Amino acid sequence: MNALLAVLWKDLLTESRSHDRAIAMLLLSGLMVVVFHFSLPGGATTATRAYAPGLLWVAYVFAALLGLGRSFAIELENDAIEGLARAPVDRGWVLLGKTIANWVILAFVQAITACAFALVFEMDLTPVALELAGVVALGSLGLCSVGTFFAAVAVRTRLREVMLPLLALPFYTPVLIAATRATNALFETGSVAFEPIQFLIVTDASFLIASFLLSDFVLDE
Amino acid sequence: MPDHRQTSIPATTSRALRASGAALAASTALWAYLVYFAPLDRIQGVIQKILYVHVPCWFAAYAGFALTAACGALYLWKNDERFDRVAIAGAEVGVLFCTLGLVTGPIWAKGTWGHWWAWDPRLTVTLVLWFIYLAYLLLRSFTEGSTRTARFASVYGIAGLAAVPLNYFAIEIFGGAAMHPDNLERESLGAGMGWPFAIGALTGLLALLHLVVLRVDLENRRVAANPSAAEWDGETGF
Repeated sequence: MNALLAVLWKDLLTESRSHDRAIAMLLLSGLMVVVFHFSLPGGATTATRAYAPGLLWVAYVFAALLGLGRSFAIELENDAIEGLARAPVDRGWVLLGKTIANWVILAFVQAITACAFALVFEMDLTPVALELAGVVALGSLGLCSVGTFFAAVAVRTRLREVMLPLLALPFYTPVLIAATRATNALFETGSVAFEPIQFLIVTDASFLIASFLLSDFVLDE
Repeated sequence: MPDHRQTSIPATTSRALRASGAALAASTALWAYLVYFAPLDRIQGVIQKILYVHVPCWFAAYAGFALTAACGALYLWKNDERFDRVAIAGAEVGVLFCTLGLVTGPIWAKGTWGHWWAWDPRLTVTLVLWFIYLAYLLLRSFTEGSTRTARFASVYGIAGLAAVPLNYFAIEIFGGAAMHPDNLERESLGAGMGWPFAIGALTGLLALLHLVVLRVDLENRRVAANPSAAEWDGETGF
């Protein structure tokens, strides 16, 4: 547990000093909002609001992949990844610490991206802000648990930037289906049924447990 | 690091190849005969006979992916490279049958329902399954270091297997089948369709077995021809 807190603190401190990942993720999601506006018929307005949940999650996924890829790439400098792997602690806690750090950074990016979306699509998200934050938090936990696990694998491959999306995206499918359905229900009706939330909770728990148990095989010297 | 590779070609491989080849040839001949004389479906006509190709492809794909996951788990447990060779074979042959299933399915769907594709739960999960094992093959190509490649691939192969039961029970779990019926139950096929279906499934599994043995033999020969490359471990040179 101490290892989890240590890794979490290290990652957040590194990010708060460099802002590397958050800025890159924000820029990408901001650019995607602009691209969505130009790619939609008639631009992003109240008329094209039906596309908003899907597009919002597309922006989240790509921003997440960008940040997740960096989360282990920074550990390659000075062979820090070897230090992480050789630390006399359970590697599961190290991976979990990284997962939570990624989740926090992604949450920051998502909050700002949602504001940009609300502006561009002329939507008032304040009445559903709390529920939306809950849905996004659950969805992002799934993205980060799978993404951090496969980032540890992808960083050891020759084409790490290419491999991470290829490895993670198929496993993102259940999370994305449930998250976009829940977000769509929130935007349409202002409330969300328990089924997609339940599905997200089960998926998140499965991903977290599996990545914890399999961490020894992906974090190596 | 101990050398856990087996560099000689096991003599049993050629015997297994001959045996699986003979069984496949016999089964294919019987299957072709039964399919030819199987009754035509009253509504769909001759295109329904693609059932005897389409479903066996999926049985073979599922079995291939299950083989990959099982051998991946055994590799992680025993650290024996021979299991990894079977895991590679299972994934490659599984992807081949998965692709054939994804080709034959839309042909049947277009002829019967007029649509190539519909996003029903089983089709969606099937596509995800295909992408997972394509990513598995890419992971093997792009990872450096023989033991690391085997280890990562084993983990990914095991994780990917979760999509197989999800795929098979997709209709029951998610409901809303657009193109697929519920899973087959006893006597749910028309009269005279049971045997060609059963022999088709057997032929699919025998084809998988034969191709897996062939692929393992190829991998054995590759390792035997270049043992120094097999012994190289990229982990230290990362």
